[in-house]
Amino acid sequence: MSTVATQPGTASTASQTPAAVQTIALQKRIDDRPILRDINLTVASGQYVALLGANGAGKSTLLKILATLIPPSDGRLTLFGETVGWDGWAARRRIGLIGHQSMLYRDLSALENLIFFGKLYGIASPAARAVTLLKAVDLFDRADDPVKSLSRGMMQRVAIARALVHDPELLLADEPFDGLDAPSCRALEKLLAQLHQAGKTVILANHDIDQSLRLSQRAVVLRKGRVVIDQPSQELTPPAILREMERA
Amino acid sequence: MIRAAKQSLLIAAKDLRIESRSRQTISLVVVLGILVVTVLGLGLGGQRPGGPAATAVLWVAYLFSGVLCFEKTMAVERQDGALAGLLLAPLDRGVIYLGKLLSNVVLMFAVAGVITPVGILFFGFDLSKAPLGFFAIMGMSMLGFAAVGTLFAAMVSSSRLQGGLLAMVVFPITLPLVIASTQLTSRLYQGDETWNGSAFAVLVAFDAIFLVVSWLAFEWVIEP
Repeated sequence: MSTVATQPGTASTASQTPAAVQTIALQKRIDDRPILRDINLTVASGQYVALLGANGAGKSTLLKILATLIPPSDGRLTLFGETVGWDGWAARRRIGLIGHQSMLYRDLSALENLIFFGKLYGIASPAARAVTLLKAVDLFDRADDPVKSLSRGMMQRVAIARALVHDPELLLADEPFDGLDAPSCRALEKLLAQLHQAGKTVILANHDIDQSLRLSQRAVVLRKGRVVIDQPSQELTPPAILREMERA
Repeated sequence: MIRAAKQSLLIAAKDLRIESRSRQTISLVVVLGILVVTVLGLGLGGQRPGGPAATAVLWVAYLFSGVLCFEKTMAVERQDGALAGLLLAPLDRGVIYLGKLLSNVVLMFAVAGVITPVGILFFGFDLSKAPLGFFAIMGMSMLGFAAVGTLFAAMVSSSRLQGGLLAMVVFPITLPLVIASTQLTSRLYQGDETWNGSAFAVLVAFDAIFLVVSWLAFEWVIEP
């Protein structure tokens, strides 16, 4: 993948802007079952954070709340210094989410998908932006092919382009490496690093501990919906994280 | 306001483009509608009743076809989590509802455009007596039906009980609409030109109430 163009004036530094994400006593219950408990997390603008935890630890739920897809049951969520209300749609302009699923329309082409989402976000030149992004993820030659005809790796690259179509300041990635082959994984790692260098805040939920520690500046480990580790990645080792994840 | 209208049109246009490519919904729904009219038409013994029973047969076809149509257009959003992509966009969720409603109304008109002539063949309806009245009644009926169907399709699509649940919810709710529409159209078919104000008022009230309530409630029922 080549360099992803970011639109000017969106990169920010930690000293000038409020925290990209701040959660205060955030809780989520589903059918009275606690999924997230008392999450207090502050992510500075421009930080690269790895979110780790076993299956069911609450990583995806936390990302969905941060993306304003679902509301918390209790607590407060602040994005870029603004408290997110019950709908949170103003904040969505600044958030991009790469999920388990592609979030694309299979019967539309990659280009049509990106133009559609670009128009929904109200960006100035959706067609030009779509072309730029498709070139950035090395899929311009497949731009007019229906998404359903693309391989899993290609589809994931279009999904990444979709998440970046509005040039978000906060990128949330929920296990984006799942199902990708080694070259695609490396390309995605590079892309996320480029976005981070361009000043974006990246929160990456991932199963691969080694990879997460290598990529991120800070690791947050969840166990049964609670934050049990929140430290700079370089101070942590995979066995220590694994021990904490496995603790009863 | 204009931006919201543009976004709704964008969503509806996207749905119709997908449908024009895949033709998954329209072909299934049209075949189902024709089958319903044919089976019930033959079951009635080819008596060409032309009255309320024949109009009711048409409505049975619209109802089953409509429910299938609403389910299918929402299933497109569930595939590959596309709905989450829509919900992530900075737009009021009511805008998504209006977009889905618009595409459902267009599809329902297309379906009615095929099913109704089949009904005319079987039951010998004479639409020439009041064509504008017929289109006005059908337009209002389809709008109200789609308003309810779009809301509940969104609600049911996140449930495991998708199959027959939508029909079980939508049919009873649309009963007043079906009764009013059947009364109005059967009068038209029979050449009765007396004005049935109360049935028309039911149609207007049903549309107004369910459009507003569904638009407001969509925010709370739609889940990624």
